[in-house]
Amino acid sequence: MAALLEVAKLHAAYGPTRVLHGIGLSMEQGTITTLLGANGAGKTTTLRALCGMVKTQGEVRFEGGRIDAKATEDIVRLGIAHVPDGRGTFVNLSTEENLRLGAYVRKDRGNIDADLERVFGYFPRLKERRTQQAGTLSGGEQQMLAVSRALMLRPKLMLLDEPSFGLAPLIVKELFGILRTVNQKERVSMLVVEQNAAMALELADHAYVIETGRVVLSGTAADIKRDDNVRRAYLGY
Amino acid sequence: MDAFLHQVLAGLATGGIYASLALALVMIYQATHLVNFAQGEMAMFATYFAWSLINAGVPYWPAFFLTVIFAFVLGVVIERVIIRPVENAPVLAVVVVFIALLVILNSVTGWIYSYTIKTFPSPFPAEPIFGKYMSAHEAGAIGVTIVVLLALYAFFRFTPLGLAMRAAAQNPDSARLVGIRVGWMLALGWGLAAAIGGVAGMMVAPIVYLDPNMMGGILLYAFAAALVGGIDSPGGAVLGGFMVGVLENVLGAFVIGNELKLAVALVLIIGVLTVKPSGFFGKVFVTRV
Repeated sequence: MAALLEVAKLHAAYGPTRVLHGIGLSMEQGTITTLLGANGAGKTTTLRALCGMVKTQGEVRFEGGRIDAKATEDIVRLGIAHVPDGRGTFVNLSTEENLRLGAYVRKDRGNIDADLERVFGYFPRLKERRTQQAGTLSGGEQQMLAVSRALMLRPKLMLLDEPSFGLAPLIVKELFGILRTVNQKERVSMLVVEQNAAMALELADHAYVIETGRVVLSGTAADIKRDDNVRRAYLGY
Repeated sequence: MDAFLHQVLAGLATGGIYASLALALVMIYQATHLVNFAQGEMAMFATYFAWSLINAGVPYWPAFFLTVIFAFVLGVVIERVIIRPVENAPVLAVVVVFIALLVILNSVTGWIYSYTIKTFPSPFPAEPIFGKYMSAHEAGAIGVTIVVLLALYAFFRFTPLGLAMRAAAQNPDSARLVGIRVGWMLALGWGLAAAIGGVAGMMVAPIVYLDPNMMGGILLYAFAAALVGGIDSPGGAVLGGFMVGVLENVLGAFVIGNELKLAVALVLIIGVLTVKPSGFFGKVFVTRV
């Protein structure tokens, strides 16, 4: 079976500052992969590079086709939903409008109302906040909104950039539980960037560890969890 | 009292035109945070196009709708060809481009059509209505303005494309991430703004007559209206337009005389910017981070 996402020798730079130095990774359909690494290792940049938000060199294949030269807007149309760093909320629009925007590129307009109910099923809180201006939601609610907006695309692959950032531990637990459910029920593949390595390894099937723009370790989440260096550096025991 | 009422109603008619143009300014401002100084000249140019059609024998309403389409295309082309290359340029560079556009459109129109003042027909009958308080053209202009504003409101409020345009203006990065083609949304915004301006031009031309400088003063009033309402508030700009129209007419007729009317706009601009820069309806958003 061909990999869903295949990245080879990916380089990226912000102006003269090179951030990625030949990242390579591969993901199977239906799996959850996590990217671990310290601040500044290049995790966020990797996600941004995958969806064409930074200039890159190297090869990115999605379902076998090259996407590294495509514009962000076209990559979305292939079924890749990015839950960005900082959540990317449209703060002046209502919760419902934010969600409807997630389905903007879908052709099957008739199913969108049903999908609204589907994500409200995962996040009932958003239903209560339906008409509220999204900028006034709490941090946790905005993260739920960002995940829900991505789900409205009915994506094949979700890129999640630090979904646990700034959230209370209980909310993180709830959110990761829902991600697991979505992955199992809807077969949505996920590439999750996390600082919270323990939670991420719990959720993921596979893991890559990135240091200064290079992959230094990869394997199944279980193997990575047992790795002594990872344990000391990221899990803290 | 009769005279006063007459001035108020006439003020509402011109106010509707200011409101339309102010709305066009606000639309561009929301997406780019810049005031398009050429908005008035684009409207003037479109009005000349309408004049050409009517002179060539096209009946008024077909000419009207053809002009709206022409103005829309003109706006899209200007954004794609002229504004897009300076998208990330410093503010002053873009302002210079806007002013250049103003001067070029003005001169080109003068060159093609000459600077002689022309009459422009009204589609409405000449007899006054509402007991002589208002000409039919004034009433018609208010009606047309209201239809345009309602159509625009419905478009932005209820259609996916309108929602996408609002999203692109507010948060371009996130908009790209949900697949919105932000560049085209901007061009579309320019097209819509130009189309609204074209309608305003055709509605005001029978009152002020057609000449290449006809929109100069009107753009000032529209700018004052946008500021009074709050430069980031479409609803405020519309209300501001009607307010400025009435104020200007009433003050001009009874207090300061017609010669000083334009000063009302300037005083309003300076007054709002010093006392309440966000305008009366400029929204204050609460944002959590």
